[in-house]
Amino acid sequence: MLATKIKNEDEILKYLEKKVIVFKCFGCKEVYFPEEGINEFLKKNNQNIIEIIKIDYLCNEEFAETIVNKNIKKFEKCENIIVFSCGVGVQVISKILIEDKKVYKNISVGCDSFCLDGFQGITAQKYSCSGCEECYLNWTGGICPFTSCLKGLLNGPCGGADKNGKCEVNRSRDCAWIKIYEKMKKLGIDKNLKENDIFIKNYLLMGKKKEFPL
Amino acid sequence: MEKEKIIIEYTNYKLKPENEIEELLKGTKSIYIFWCKKCFTKATLDEPFPEIIGKIKQEKKVDFSAVDFLCNNYHINKIIEDIDFSSFEVIGVISCGIGIQLVSDIIDNKIVIALSDTISFSENSTNFPIEHGISLSPEKCGGCGQCYLNITGGICPIINCAKGLLNGPCGGADKNGMCEVNKNKKCAWIEIYERLKKQKEKLNPTIEIRNYNIIPDEEKEKRTDENIERRQSGFYGGLYPEEEKEKTENIKIKKYQDPPYVIIFLSQHTGIPSIPIVKVGDKVKVGQKIGSSSGFISSNIHSSISGKVLSIEEKIHPVSLTLEPAIVIENNGLDDLSSEIQPLENWYNLPKEKILDFINEKGIVGLGGAMFPTHVKLSPPKKVDTLIVNGCECEPFLNSDNRVMIEYYREIIKGIEIVKKILEVKNVIVGIEDNKKVAINLLKQYSSENIKISQLPTKYPEGAEKILIKCLTGRQVPKKGLPFDVGVVVLNISTILAIYRAINYGFPLISRVITISGEDIKMTGNYEIKIGFPLKHIIPSFIDENEISEYDIKMGGPMMGICQENFETAVIKGTTGYTFLKKTPVNFDEDRNCIKCGRCVDACPVELYPFYFALLGQEKNFLEMGKYNVNECIECGCCQYICSSKINLLKFIKEGKKCLQQK
Repeated sequence: MLATKIKNEDEILKYLEKKVIVFKCFGCKEVYFPEEGINEFLKKNNQNIIEIIKIDYLCNEEFAETIVNKNIKKFEKCENIIVFSCGVGVQVISKILIEDKKVYKNISVGCDSFCLDGFQGITAQKYSCSGCEECYLNWTGGICPFTSCLKGLLNGPCGGADKNGKCEVNRSRDCAWIKIYEKMKKLGIDKNLKENDIFIKNYLLMGKKKEFPL
Repeated sequence: MEKEKIIIEYTNYKLKPENEIEELLKGTKSIYIFWCKKCFTKATLDEPFPEIIGKIKQEKKVDFSAVDFLCNNYHINKIIEDIDFSSFEVIGVISCGIGIQLVSDIIDNKIVIALSDTISFSENSTNFPIEHGISLSPEKCGGCGQCYLNITGGICPIINCAKGLLNGPCGGADKNGMCEVNKNKKCAWIEIYERLKKQKEKLNPTIEIRNYNIIPDEEKEKRTDENIERRQSGFYGGLYPEEEKEKTENIKIKKYQDPPYVIIFLSQHTGIPSIPIVKVGDKVKVGQKIGSSSGFISSNIHSSISGKVLSIEEKIHPVSLTLEPAIVIENNGLDDLSSEIQPLENWYNLPKEKILDFINEKGIVGLGGAMFPTHVKLSPPKKVDTLIVNGCECEPFLNSDNRVMIEYYREIIKGIEIVKKILEVKNVIVGIEDNKKVAINLLKQYSSENIKISQLPTKYPEGAEKILIKCLTGRQVPKKGLPFDVGVVVLNISTILAIYRAINYGFPLISRVITISGEDIKMTGNYEIKIGFPLKHIIPSFIDENEISEYDIKMGGPMMGICQENFETAVIKGTTGYTFLKKTPVNFDEDRNCIKCGRCVDACPVELYPFYFALLGQEKNFLEMGKYNVNECIECGCCQYICSSKINLLKFIKEGKKCLQQK
């Protein structure tokens, strides 16, 4: 799940030195989108702004194309385009503008995107799934070692948790494997952890390219 | 074909191989299976039933639940609460990893078996997640926290380079510009170079070194917690739309000019329309009764101006948008007051039936928008113990209730005393959203001890009756029930003012306070306007004639407001305001495909699954909507607002309700 934060102001100020058209995508506002910060920033530095185009779901090509078509004449006047959205939105708009519409303008980004756990809808979740295609949850009492262990370890190089069961990388986090052990103990299946061999992870599956019907 | 393109299955899982499942279930006699019906896919009404459940059923005791969005912790907690697992040895889950982890976290005293493997949707990398946009475009984002797209012409090197390289160990592309890892793929850096050339830009050699911990885990966790908190604070779901209240919140209520004529609809209330008691050509005065209530759930109507009855004809009703009878009166500009305007003297010593009759006589209905006759609401068939006064006004743009509270707070407190006497209740709670600090302070200063002013978090739709009751009293109004079922009566703040004015001055409901606001319009403000004021004569004061086609004019706020296409209509008792919104280039469409992103399920405050209404509506299978509790929908518009495919959900819902009612 993608969330965004505004880039360092000094960095984006230089994109506002020339005549600029601003895209502001608020589709994922309910997750986390620094709308107030962006509005304030744009208000403060509005000398060269020709137009602010508000859109939700810039990542939807159909919507992005409609809005580009409607404003196509305005792009002639601008020297720069700045987009406040996640990385997907920026890539969609630059593909449409440059490859499809031949608007050869510099497209800059005002946001940095980062990932929150959870896939679905707008609610972030405390759980994450990396889609490894060989689910380990049956062996680990329903706690995923890949996404819960900071190093994503099944075996191998760990310096070990401290006495309080905290991770060596980050002392404020519980060690995933201790959590797994305790959960399994509670369920009375902790001996599985000692007896069963965990199969070696096949990273090829994870990195497999998915075919898009495009 | 064009539409098919954008539908890509993202979150996907496949069943584990059969022999592996057999091995996993060896020795168990009974299993309860949760089966998630997948998200981010071409949504269908029936996801194909996993055959494996049937196979297991031959040998073991099996029961199962098919769930949409097994990862939605709020809904899943509720579903799991209602299921009795005691006779099942283990729990099986068919879903992506998030659903499995969630179920195993909630049911932590039973072994949870994962029956499926989640398929990765990332294209090339294993060391960081790759995310798709909500509406499933082929472009993806690694969420690295330091966007490089500024210097790479809008092509992401981290996602598109097979090695995710910014610098360092690459053997180089071949002569055709193909990647050394995959000869079918173009080198991302060559693509970047070519794109920049088109833009007449040069590749800036000083690329910031990648910081893999630029957004530390703690910050992500904080955001995740904040997000869950926001979504579930007060009530589940809801939205935080842009408020835009600052446009009118400090503008004093002004008297709006007098209309040249008025259109007074006979149906300005829930229930049976009133019957006209004047004839064409009759002279009427301000406050004179012109339509008489025609049943228990009905209301009187009065003339808001003095003049001559021009006609009784059908006009476009602003709520139903169909032709409905109305009385048209020409203004003679004299403002002659009717002799019917007489206060209810000495009301405190009168029996409550007398006061209720008086309120009925003055044609007072709920002014929040639903227009339920107030005298009916104030004579509940069951004993009530609490009066809730609704001062939330959660709709963006609107400030009419807010201004009423600020300017008439004394009258409101006195009005509450009247209602308290009628209902014989001791508890009074005034619920106000915390973005109306001035009103809260004024009411707090002036109110007596037994009126509690309660500050609620600003979240749409806080002001919906059932939600407000739950937030303020913790009581849950039952399905198909009404507030009095839990001992509560809810009145809007403006209704209280109307009651006060009726009893103390004898004024029937012939004017109300509305907010007129919007994007780039003249004269935004809060106005006391005559009921029946023709919309046609309001519009020119706010936008120029040649701009009309650029605007959507909504009666009410942007969320629940009803778009007025025909201007031969007028202000009615339930008009809370007019909002002039610029038309968006992307229109709502009934035929667009649902991609089952789950946003509507996350936003629905009454905890429905609105995407089913889109699917059923597109199949014209409206009767089936009853299965998904369409009648509980409060038409707040959250699902339509948040829909990532911009499907016209409210239209389907309204049609579904109508079909079910006719049946």
